[in-house]
Amino acid sequence: MRFLTTFAACLCLGAFHVQAKSTAGDRVVVFVPKLDAASEYSQFLDSLGTRGFDVSFEGDRLYDHAIVLSPSSKKFGSGISVSDFLSFVDSGGNLIVAASHELSDIHRKLALQFGVTFEKRGSRVVDHTSHLAATVNQSDHSVVAAKQFAQVDAVLSKKVVGGKPVLFKGIAHAYDAANPLLVPLLTGARTTYSAASSAARSDVVLTGMSIGLVSAFQTRSNARVVFSGSADLFSNRLLGQKAAGNTQFVKEISQWAFQEKSVLRSTAHRHHFAATGETPEHYRVNNEIVYEVDLSVYYDDAWHPYVASDVQFEAIMLDPYIRATLNRTESNAAHATYHGDIKLPDRYGTFTFRVNYKRTGYSNVVVQDTVGIWPLRHDEYPRFLSAAYPYYVGSLTMVLGFLALSAAWLWNTEPKKAKSKTN
Amino acid sequence: MARKVLGLAAAEQLSLLRIAILGLISVVAIGSRLYSVIRFESIIHEFDPWFNFRTTKYLVNNGFDSFWNWFDETAWYPLGRVVGGTVYPGIMVTSATIYNALHFLNIPVDIRNVCVFLAPVFSAFTAIATYHMGKEVKNATAGLLAAAFIGVAPGYISRGLRSSCSCSPSSCGCGRCGLGSALYAALTAVFYFYMVSAWGGYVFIINLIPLHVFALLAMGRYSNRLYVSYSTFYVLGTLASMQIPFVGFQPTRTSEHMAALGTFGLLQLVAFAHFARTLVPQHHFQVLLRGAVVSLFVVGLGGLWTGRFYSLWDTGYAKIHIPIIASVSEHQPTPWPNFFFDLNFLIWLLPAGIFFSFRELTDNHVFLILYSIFAAYFAGVMVRLILTLTPIRTYLNVKDVEAAGSEAEAVPVAKTEAVAGVPAAEQISVSKSGKKGKGKKSEKTEEPAKSEPAPSSKPATAPGDERWNEELVVMANFLYLLFMFQWHCSWVTSNAYSSPSVVLASRSPDGSQHIIDDFREAYYWLRQNTKPDAKVLSWWDYGYQLAGMADRTTLVDNNTWNNTHIATVGKILASDEDTAYELARRHDVDYVLVVFGGMLGYSGDDINKFLWMIRIAQGVYPDDVEENAFFTGRGQYSIGDDASPTMKRSLMHKLSYYRFSSVMGGQGMDRVRRQPLPTEVTVDNFEEAFTSENWMVRIYKVKDLDNLGRSHHKVADFVGRP
Repeated sequence: MRFLTTFAACLCLGAFHVQAKSTAGDRVVVFVPKLDAASEYSQFLDSLGTRGFDVSFEGDRLYDHAIVLSPSSKKFGSGISVSDFLSFVDSGGNLIVAASHELSDIHRKLALQFGVTFEKRGSRVVDHTSHLAATVNQSDHSVVAAKQFAQVDAVLSKKVVGGKPVLFKGIAHAYDAANPLLVPLLTGARTTYSAASSAARSDVVLTGMSIGLVSAFQTRSNARVVFSGSADLFSNRLLGQKAAGNTQFVKEISQWAFQEKSVLRSTAHRHHFAATGETPEHYRVNNEIVYEVDLSVYYDDAWHPYVASDVQFEAIMLDPYIRATLNRTESNAAHATYHGDIKLPDRYGTFTFRVNYKRTGYSNVVVQDTVGIWPLRHDEYPRFLSAAYPYYVGSLTMVLGFLALSAAWLWNTEPKKAKSKTN
Repeated sequence: MARKVLGLAAAEQLSLLRIAILGLISVVAIGSRLYSVIRFESIIHEFDPWFNFRTTKYLVNNGFDSFWNWFDETAWYPLGRVVGGTVYPGIMVTSATIYNALHFLNIPVDIRNVCVFLAPVFSAFTAIATYHMGKEVKNATAGLLAAAFIGVAPGYISRGLRSSCSCSPSSCGCGRCGLGSALYAALTAVFYFYMVSAWGGYVFIINLIPLHVFALLAMGRYSNRLYVSYSTFYVLGTLASMQIPFVGFQPTRTSEHMAALGTFGLLQLVAFAHFARTLVPQHHFQVLLRGAVVSLFVVGLGGLWTGRFYSLWDTGYAKIHIPIIASVSEHQPTPWPNFFFDLNFLIWLLPAGIFFSFRELTDNHVFLILYSIFAAYFAGVMVRLILTLTPIRTYLNVKDVEAAGSEAEAVPVAKTEAVAGVPAAEQISVSKSGKKGKGKKSEKTEEPAKSEPAPSSKPATAPGDERWNEELVVMANFLYLLFMFQWHCSWVTSNAYSSPSVVLASRSPDGSQHIIDDFREAYYWLRQNTKPDAKVLSWWDYGYQLAGMADRTTLVDNNTWNNTHIATVGKILASDEDTAYELARRHDVDYVLVVFGGMLGYSGDDINKFLWMIRIAQGVYPDDVEENAFFTGRGQYSIGDDASPTMKRSLMHKLSYYRFSSVMGGQGMDRVRRQPLPTEVTVDNFEEAFTSENWMVRIYKVKDLDNLGRSHHKVADFVGRP
């Protein structure tokens, strides 16, 4: 990764904090147009600093998190391309991308890969009923006070959702609602629309709720990306507004993006015979087994037990043969144990035991083992079947009859002349 | 027999000679099966035996108990295969026993070599068994000739080891009738058990023997001997065969076994009737009985029919209803040239043999006639059954050459002494052929001499000079034929049946041999470069090899027990990339392997098999796969740019021709199809992982889902395609 470039400024933040708060690491790189432009966002960046982020230079990936606050830059230094960002994310890096109405192509291309389509350059989000009163131009309603928060507890707390509106000045984006990885965190209200710049013909494309203002994306490998149509959202100017909830909002989305909360993981999982507690190489049909998985969640700088009632276990062979909800049996300081008493299906084959726990805003947890379920051994079948008793009786009488007949024939020396046709 | 004594009494001399000849026949029989081992190396060369090899290894390593209960998770993923219950364990157990015996004697033989050399060694046993059967049917010299025939007949060589086992019970089966002793019948049952344990072809025997019994009954040849031997054989043999888990209760349920069961019941009735008749002598009784017998048998036959059985009667049946059976080349009707190719002059001596059998209609001869007729029919229907025909051909041909009188005894014996080895065996036959020629030419005159004990008829022959000349001509004639037979057999064996399917050999213009080893190259690549639990999807032909050589999990293999699963694989290969990707991911497939012969001109590749895949898939998924869509508007099976859109979209086409055109410089030809190549082939959902040296095997990795949730087409649009 070549993020240390001439054009992009790298800020070392809070180097005196040693404690990492994010689960993903504590190295952040920030892209700003000019070095001194960082002062515009000092409040936000300082808040990161107080949360314990640091910079270091080892490893494959130089940074764990990246913030792009340079919406109008045509490129990021020499040769950092969109695909570099993609591979940064692919390798687990987290990203916050802030745009504005003058965003460049490179932002648009980057966002497009995540299913986020920014409006045309120059267009702004406008809301004539809910906005910050402009100081200069009364008719400028482009600082929108948005409060259409997504109900995603894992990202936005009640404090944000039920709190003050967030001031937003920037560009709208369309989000791909069909993409399960993408969650719009903040959308426009009914009265919000996206307008082309005042000079151009007012060309309304996106309106109302379909306007994405801030969206969150979590990759399959649990890297997190936040797109904001507004860089000003993070600026001192808007953070400073007393009537706005920007401070809390920005804090929470950056906490989420930088893996400081709602990080879910499974620390262990196990399955074994219910009776003996040992784990065999393979099970046999109809075995009674126990399946357990430990889940913990990260928030407030520590791992806590994860509490939920919808953790499910599946035994799959092409189709799920078993789908059972696991019960939380015990919790210690670090994790909660979910437990299920499972009776394996009466079907042999190669099964996949899977806990596939994907909840919006939380990291994906997929725990799976491939387990063979074998048929019974040849000597494990029931020896006698009640249905077959008539046959047993039949065979037995046959045997006895044969013996009796043989005995009679062998020892019956008749003095008279025999019929002797039996030979 | 012989008039001269060479230090030994005549009888001793003769038996020494027989043993020597039989030994030499065995050596030849073994030798002619070693062409491929000597030319290439000691590996398993064919598709199917790889399974036997692998299971034998498992048996040797894990013992019989775990073999018996082995559930193979790496085959038929994710269904698995109950190997212990779906296998004929005879061959594996035999090899493992030999292996263990050798190791007990401190002879450290590799298990692979045991498997490779098992078949040739068993062919020697076959020859010996054949000798005994010949002896049973006719006499010792006939047996020797038969052994010599079977030792080298290509029809037998081509089908590996199984054939060897099939001979023993049939020979005993024949012997059984003659002797009528419970002991021999029990022995037959033991051999029958061994055959059942080794090969599904036992069904042929278990139908043939009842048929023979039935024919004898219908001819009014019921005897107590028949009753004793058949009852003993059937009860013991059936009980024994039911011990094989794969056979299980089939003998009491399936149509294939009904004839045997019905005949057994019938025999009881007939026996009872005979017994009853001794009490109540009535002449109408027999007439009534026969009617009952025939109707019962017909009813018994009218049970359930299975598909494979149908395809024996109507060769078109399989093609219409069960493509999976028809798709196997071994299940195709035999083309005519094959008969001559495999049997040479034996083929046209067969009718004469049947004729001579009819002339002295003993119980044994009835068996021979029935056997030959049925074997001929089945061989005509299915190529693989030609091997059932082979032994009976040899007997009947021996009958041929035996049939007529045997006046010129002195000459052949002298010759046999003079010449050793295989020719020696042939010399004997020459003597017989001489007789046979006689028989043909002067049947009338020879008739009295043609009695059962052939050797003793010698005194009756006091040939005159003319006759001697005549004899010489015929003998020379047959000598020539027999030489040609030997020549032909060696040639066929060496050229047609010894080219392995794992390794291909080609000759460059200067005559030097060039080995094409793409299969093993690819399998070893898989073995070395993929996760041990990687799942490899390929057409089922390569399943056993993948399991054996690459040691990876397969979805389908040559044990075609689940048609739906095979059809699913066919559907994956026949559908477009996205459907295939979804299905492949659902089946946890990691790699897709296709065999492509376009570069080399290898005609047994997957594109040529593709139509079968489509048909099989269509049989199960008629809504998703449609055979006609794969042909061009003019009904041609084309692969180039003019191919039908469905064809070009299909995964098989894409995986086969991906990058091929560019490698050939844009204007190459497919050397199998003799068609121009498709120019633009893109593959987005799969990633080329390996292509072997001659492009025969191409392996593709199934890509993971995109981390950002995009479709792979979009990713490729973004990243760019090579």
